Amino acid sequence: MRNKAMLIVAAFVIAAASLPLFAGPYFLSVFNTIFVYMSLALTWDIMLRTGQLSYGTAGLFGLGAYASALLVAKAGLNPLVSIAAGGAFAGLLAFFLGFGVLRLRKIYFSITTLALTTVFSVIIRNLPRLTGGASGTVLPRALFNGDPGKNYWMIYCLALAVIAISVWLSKSKTHYAINAIRNDEITARSSGIDVFKYLLFIFVLTSTIQGVIGAFYAQQYAFVQPEATFSMNFLLLPLAMALVGGVYSTIGPVVGAVLLGLVSEYLKLIMPYGHLIVYGIIIVLVVLFMPQGITRAFAKLFTRKMQVGGVDSASLRD
Amino acid sequence: MLAAASKKQYLFIALLVIAAIVIGFWEPHALIYGIQRGSLYAVIALPLALILGILGVLNLAHGEFLTVGMYATFVLFSRFGVDPMLSTVPVTLLLAVVGVAVYLLTIKHVLKAGHLSQLLITFGISLVISELIKSIYTTQPRGVFTTYSYSSTTLAGIRFGTYEFLYLLIAVAVLVGLQLFLKKTRLGQATFAVGQNPRGASIVGINVSFVYLFVFGLSIAIVGLASVFMVPRVSIFPGAGTPYTMKSFALTAMAGLGNLNGILLAGIALGIFEAVVNAIPGGSGWSDVVFFGVLILVIMTRAIREGRR
Repeated sequence: MRNKAMLIVAAFVIAAASLPLFAGPYFLSVFNTIFVYMSLALTWDIMLRTGQLSYGTAGLFGLGAYASALLVAKAGLNPLVSIAAGGAFAGLLAFFLGFGVLRLRKIYFSITTLALTTVFSVIIRNLPRLTGGASGTVLPRALFNGDPGKNYWMIYCLALAVIAISVWLSKSKTHYAINAIRNDEITARSSGIDVFKYLLFIFVLTSTIQGVIGAFYAQQYAFVQPEATFSMNFLLLPLAMALVGGVYSTIGPVVGAVLLGLVSEYLKLIMPYGHLIVYGIIIVLVVLFMPQGITRAFAKLFTRKMQVGGVDSASLRD
Repeated sequence: MLAAASKKQYLFIALLVIAAIVIGFWEPHALIYGIQRGSLYAVIALPLALILGILGVLNLAHGEFLTVGMYATFVLFSRFGVDPMLSTVPVTLLLAVVGVAVYLLTIKHVLKAGHLSQLLITFGISLVISELIKSIYTTQPRGVFTTYSYSSTTLAGIRFGTYEFLYLLIAVAVLVGLQLFLKKTRLGQATFAVGQNPRGASIVGINVSFVYLFVFGLSIAIVGLASVFMVPRVSIFPGAGTPYTMKSFALTAMAGLGNLNGILLAGIALGIFEAVVNAIPGGSGWSDVVFFGVLILVIMTRAIREGRR
């Protein structure tokens, strides 16, 4: 059973890695986008595992994008180095913000992270000398000169790394700590768990990843602009993907990202205006009827005994 | 829950009046504009606070209901030539129906599910509404022009628009109406009780689920009322109402949960503050930061203060 699962996973990994060898640029760009959103969906889910619903995904994504783009445009840094720098910047900022934001719980945490996204974008729009203001900054060269294969491999490796981090987190001691925090913070605290330390660690980790992904996105398209870079899509799509796949797991956001990524590509063609409505409907329906997500629903269907994720299969209800 | 004006509140009023007088001498337009906008913010924030206070749900789709009201008024105006002032009743009723429908279909089922589900579902609803509007009316901005909404008058050498003083009138009317409802009527007192302790209220025989339904419908109706009066002065597009969700939450957080009077004060204070920032040369781009900055600041100070206790 376990060997079989490993084989299937290995087959998927190799198949996805060899995609640029036979697929055309359109197909590659579709999967490129899917991996961007998959990584964001995983980071959103990792934060949710602590019980904190973050609406700040787009904010940290945008900050990483801007930090990296400006380092290339103004300081002439190597684009690959700048991607790391973008992540570091987002992580560092999250570290300092964390001391304030992570004292908040429930709706106050969520709304503050949402407000921060707006604050970031307004600040950037109002510093035209540094950031190019509302019209944004165009970089002289796209990453790898816009080679679709290389860009694909880059985001593929990043997504694999995020998946690995997510899996590692669910097997480490941290997993038990954050699960305990989510289930009952007071009990967790009285069992000697340093709640704030774990929250800060997860917040900085997920923010760094969001920053790296944002930086990659900016370098790939050689362009940053407040409206586009801080777009709500970078919050909304990952959120819907993680929900559809099933929260509190690694497989959930991954499956959800592939599924919704393909669906949205199709919808974009048939519905030029307002195709995002599907995401809204999906979020509402999943919360109402399938809070455990599609992967767990399937797992339940096929093997009645097997429970995906053990303790995690406790759904959204808190 | 719904505390009467406390000592702190009187202090705040006094500070607000002093600030208003100072600003009035320095830049009278900022003061007038601030009071007008601030009242509008308060009208929109009151229903959000009511839903949050009674149902315990933060409605992230609040601003989108406002957009629905604007489009309804616009359609009545452009299709049937109904003056926005005459749309008050139909649009308010329509929004009440929309509110009740949304409540029965979605909110009702997540009331006991915890804040995660509530935050997610209202976020999903906000998206469904705004994208639905986008797919019907596209993103093209629309407008309703009436001559009276741009009427102005001159007082002591200062020329200013009079229409938007209507916002102050409506804010006071809605606030007084809500307070009277909560204190004087049976249903209002029941609502008050549900807000304090839903389980206790149901034990003494209050129909809690009806109170929830009523409060949600009433709140969305008030949003509809606000939207009608906004229409002659704003441009209507699918995201027109969206910023008001956060602005309303900012006022609610500033006033403190359950403090309805405080929302009007907070609204006027923030409205003036915003207008002053706008009046500073080069400051107009930063006015968005005012609300969000204040919101974050208020939430943080409250969290830290509660943490110490």
